[in-house]
Amino acid sequence: MELQLQHLCKHYGTKRAVDDVSTTLTPGVYGLLGANGAGKTTLMRMICGVLKPTSGRICLNGKTIDELGENYYAHLGYMPQDFGFYPDFTAREFMLYMAAVKGLGKQEAKKRTEELLKLVNLHEVADKKIKSFSGGMKQRLGIAQAELNAPDILILDEPTAGLDPKERVRFRNLISDFAKEKIVILSTHIVSDVSYIADTILMMKDGTFLLQEPMATVTDSINGKVWELLVSDREAAEYSSRFSVVNLHHENGKVRLRMIHDTAPAAEAITVPPSLEDLFLYHFGEEAETERSE
Amino acid sequence: MLIKYEFLKILRKKSTLIVMAASLLVTAFLFGLPVLQFQTYNQDGVIKGLEGIAYEKEQAADYSVPLTNEYVTETIREVQQLFENPDNVGFDGYEQFLIDSAYWDGIAPREDLLNMIAKNYVNPNESAGYNKLPELDISEGTDFYAARQEKIERLLNDASRAMSEEQKAYWQDTNSKVDAPFTYGYYDGWEIIISSFELLMFALLAVCIVIAPVFSGEYQAGTDAVILSAKYGKTKLTTAKIIASYLFGGLSFTLHVVVALGLPLAAFGFDGWDLPLQIANTTIPYPFTFLQAALVNLGVVYLVLFAMIGLTLLLSAKMKSPYLVLIVLVPVLFIPLFLSPNGTTGIYNLTLFLLPYRSTIPEVGKYISYQFGGLVLDAFTVRAILYALLTAAMLPLARLGFKKHQVS
Repeated sequence: MELQLQHLCKHYGTKRAVDDVSTTLTPGVYGLLGANGAGKTTLMRMICGVLKPTSGRICLNGKTIDELGENYYAHLGYMPQDFGFYPDFTAREFMLYMAAVKGLGKQEAKKRTEELLKLVNLHEVADKKIKSFSGGMKQRLGIAQAELNAPDILILDEPTAGLDPKERVRFRNLISDFAKEKIVILSTHIVSDVSYIADTILMMKDGTFLLQEPMATVTDSINGKVWELLVSDREAAEYSSRFSVVNLHHENGKVRLRMIHDTAPAAEAITVPPSLEDLFLYHFGEEAETERSE
Repeated sequence: MLIKYEFLKILRKKSTLIVMAASLLVTAFLFGLPVLQFQTYNQDGVIKGLEGIAYEKEQAADYSVPLTNEYVTETIREVQQLFENPDNVGFDGYEQFLIDSAYWDGIAPREDLLNMIAKNYVNPNESAGYNKLPELDISEGTDFYAARQEKIERLLNDASRAMSEEQKAYWQDTNSKVDAPFTYGYYDGWEIIISSFELLMFALLAVCIVIAPVFSGEYQAGTDAVILSAKYGKTKLTTAKIIASYLFGGLSFTLHVVVALGLPLAAFGFDGWDLPLQIANTTIPYPFTFLQAALVNLGVVYLVLFAMIGLTLLLSAKMKSPYLVLIVLVPVLFIPLFLSPNGTTGIYNLTLFLLPYRSTIPEVGKYISYQFGGLVLDAFTVRAILYALLTAAMLPLARLGFKKHQVS
């Protein structure tokens, strides 16, 4: 199975939300990283056929979305960011409704609904109205509905946003369970979410792919550029103003700084193995810092 | 299955129940008002409500008769004889009228019948009561139906109506199907129904308010992305939404119709359903009984409803929130309420008679017709065709609007 994005563009007036994106996706988990406004959601909406590209096309196994019609959507599972529910429906009713929209037969719909509600641990509240659910429960219901038709292409837009750390771990595991033999595109600006489960990292900035690398080698480009240094409080402030400090940790009256820089910021600085978060901060700098502080 | 869930989505909303309950109450109040306010008189004073209705029905029972020329002549003669005795006659400085037992025994029980007969002999647009009957020359009897025909001729040839020959021929042909002699009888319940159809506009608005979020509610709630990216999101789901909307609209409106028609019929009775419309106004050209006229107009009202549901769905598919839908819809439904026709011809009047509000009013006695080349059609037919066409045009556009919706 091949999902091809060919010269995909989406312009809003003069703003280029997605600008000439081309790639071919085969089964695997793709972590789509980028700061807010990078174009991730726009790209995912186009892949899901709910937003028309200004130009370019999307093909599944050589055929465009328009050519495939319903057959394209039959392959798709989508969990949009902050999507709404029907508050007066119970979880079970919502799942059965979505199963009907996805074209599942009555028996299959019931079976899948029970399976998935159990898998996302909502089976005990299946007959409770969704308006009584917490954010985490709604997110779990969201991914369960995306999985109803056992899609070949699973698109998850910021699925862990708003979840506490425990819920996020639980969610990551769920996604890993669902990801077998599928194209999974997982968009997030929370780097740690994808670092555990992604096979490939797609990094977006200003509507284009900044990089597209296997997870194993994605940080190679900043090897030797991540430094750690133990300094005093006064020096820490000085380094922070001069360098990109990605982490700051107090140790016995001193401060351990983690910095990204092409050369050693000080003679005593030592290089450390880069993480995905370092790479993210290296590319997004202040944008990412702002988001992290939020 | 999809239809069931879409229907449930409409039905489960608290706002649906509130809007429907409120509009049912308004409809019940408006159609129950003629019962509550009903009053009639006898020599002892006023009789109100159900008691008054029962009294009138009892009085009218004696006059459920075929209006043959002989019967009409005899009735006129009876009134003329009453006027011949000066002790029976009062004068208010403007016109004569009967007083005391002459009025209460000779006129009151059949005043509507006498007024109808009197009106048959005066010019169109001229009012007349029983006190005009003494002016008629019945020395050689009277031909009630020839007088009716003459009045209709005068009406058709009235310069202010500016009717073409084709229109006159159309109305003459329609009128020729009216059976004579008419059978007179009690028809108060049906008269109230036929003159109150426009009050169903509140029910129509309520249906539109409930239907407004069918598409736009998905955009507003953010569920559009999930359903539009599903296999049947742009195809069968759209159809299911439309069918569920019509199902809800049809059923809930029918509930209103049952209340609207049921209250007057429960109070005034079903009597008069098989009587001709002409006993209310002899110049009405339609060969319908009261029941037939009510059903024909109800059919038109349903077509208006279906077109308005279609328009609501189209707006809903195109607009981002149900409130925007209502901002457009409410003026379409209610601005015509404040516009009055100044005749029955001209683009302004002919357009006005086709707008949703006016289309619910039967206007059976107004001779409103539309000419397309040599083809003449009456208001019922044009309204039916227009609203059926509008429904047929709006639904594909609503479907397309939802299918092409861009999630933002």
